[in-house]
Amino acid sequence: MKMHPRAAEYPDSFLATPIPDEAELTAGVKIAAGKRYGFFTDTTLCIGCKACEVACKEWNLLPADNLGLRGTSYDNSGDLGATTWRHVHFIEHIRDPQGSPATEMPPFQSNWLMMSDVCKHCSPAPCLEACPTGALFRTEFDTVVVQQDICNGCGYCMPACPFGVVEVSLDDGKAHKCTLCYDRLKGGLEPACAKSCPTDSIQFGELEELHRRADRRLASLHEKGVDRAYLYGAPDGLGHGDGLRELNAFFLLTAPPETYNLPQAPTRPANRAGPALAAGLATVAALAVAAFGLFASDRRQT
Amino acid sequence: MTLQPDSVAVSAPGEGSRTGREVARRHLGPSPVTAPLAEPPTYYGQPALKASFYGWKVSTYMAVAGLAGSAQVLSLVAQTAGAAHDAETVRRGRYLAVAGAVLGAPLLIIDLHTPRRFYNMLRIFRPTSPMSIGTYVLTGFGAVSAALAAVQARLDGGRGGPALERIGAAMQFPAAALGAAMSTYTGALLGATSTPLWAAAPRTIAVLFGGSAMAGGAAVLSLGAGQAERRALGRVEALASGLELLVLLRFPRRLRQQGVRTPPALGPVLLAAASSITHQLTKEIAGADRVPPWVDAVVATGVIAGGFLLRHLLLRAGNRSAEQPRDYFRFTRPR
Repeated sequence: MKMHPRAAEYPDSFLATPIPDEAELTAGVKIAAGKRYGFFTDTTLCIGCKACEVACKEWNLLPADNLGLRGTSYDNSGDLGATTWRHVHFIEHIRDPQGSPATEMPPFQSNWLMMSDVCKHCSPAPCLEACPTGALFRTEFDTVVVQQDICNGCGYCMPACPFGVVEVSLDDGKAHKCTLCYDRLKGGLEPACAKSCPTDSIQFGELEELHRRADRRLASLHEKGVDRAYLYGAPDGLGHGDGLRELNAFFLLTAPPETYNLPQAPTRPANRAGPALAAGLATVAALAVAAFGLFASDRRQT
Repeated sequence: MTLQPDSVAVSAPGEGSRTGREVARRHLGPSPVTAPLAEPPTYYGQPALKASFYGWKVSTYMAVAGLAGSAQVLSLVAQTAGAAHDAETVRRGRYLAVAGAVLGAPLLIIDLHTPRRFYNMLRIFRPTSPMSIGTYVLTGFGAVSAALAAVQARLDGGRGGPALERIGAAMQFPAAALGAAMSTYTGALLGATSTPLWAAAPRTIAVLFGGSAMAGGAAVLSLGAGQAERRALGRVEALASGLELLVLLRFPRRLRQQGVRTPPALGPVLLAAASSITHQLTKEIAGADRVPPWVDAVVATGVIAGGFLLRHLLLRAGNRSAEQPRDYFRFTRPR
């Protein structure tokens, strides 16, 4: 097994202080302000253990929201929201594309699709572009974070988000979502979900490196016959339309995006603001000119 | 051990041995990027978006903002093009505008989930956010309208001279410009979201709001006004209603083109606009004195109510469409 040489310097199970630049040991990346970081979630490696959900809730002190099952396979958290920042989808392919029940299993549990979903930290981010208070901001790691001490709960980020991620909590009246572990990045630590992922389905790192890794993985999967595999949210993949350049948290998927509750080509809402404002103002201006004529002709008649 | 799917043979009854690649292809179909799909799949039918929680408070604000904003626009029109009797319309428009701002702002503040921090909206300006643009439009409109109403009150008290009248007339221009923005920015606010029903037709909604606001503004100014003032106002109301009606009739088709198949039920709004047009046509053809004045008031009230309903029903239908994953998935398919 490959081990980072620095790891040998810390043989104890319990450490008195955090390891400086710990992400170098756990994710092979040194975290520095000004560089772009993100997640590459390779769903072909996900085993649905939900360690990411648990690690996220533990680190970020989020309450458990639903301990029972929902009748939607093994999914019990349902969707991303104010208190769920990682959510594992469970999709059972029990029918073949013709719609009849599958009677045979392709190898390697291919009837199962599992995917750990997360805030995409879009570039540009629609929630941030909608936020009128500046509570949502882009960090020095190119991630998108809500400052709850600024947020006034206007809720405009919720319909703005193209993925239904950010949510205003009715408990405290502020918006909440994944911070890509902003506090951990500041301390040189890998985000909790990526660190806890036992299969490296969730990989954290610098975006350029993650894109290279994703391209390699995709090529290798295609070579092995999984020609359904594709990237979602990478600069040249599916997952972003009009105005959305890329998703800083991107995915490798093997079924249509909608299967994972993801839109094929979501667009940037702010692109619609200008044309709508112009159309509205033009309407009122045109009606005002017409009204001017009506008032003037009324004056002439009296 | 390295797993090699290609080298693993899977046998099925009645068939020869096949490679994993063939089995996978048979079961899971061609590549999703190229596969044409009639209906997008969903994840257990669950919503792919979060619906806004905007309800009656926001829709009421939107309607009030439209009435107040358009009142300032019509005040400017009456001031520049109107006859002597239209001075009354200018006066009422100025008071109505400030009343709208005073009533509207608290509605927005109590709709926040942390209302005591409403002033955080004023710490930045975000040009990509119609909510932020609207914050400053409302603030500016409120300030100009309050100043203009103060000028008007002084004039009404007989304490102003021609100089003050000129100041009021000059202030009417910025008030009307901000009023036009008040009437329609709320449409852009809906359009600049990911909610399918709003995002599918941002321009249409803004035009609808503009027409409805001008019709409502004329209607509210005509309530209690004299016969002479009501003449021009009634025509403006019917014209704006006509525009609203045309756009309303095309709205469902526009939504369907964009993949949104849950159109809002806007029947009552349509009815209010149609009644305004019919009423005005009757007056033009048969003569205004053949129609009793109370009918004017009933029709005007209907138009105002239609404006409130339009925004309320549109908000409700939008929130519902956000929970229809297929509407959203069809809308976000590359076209």
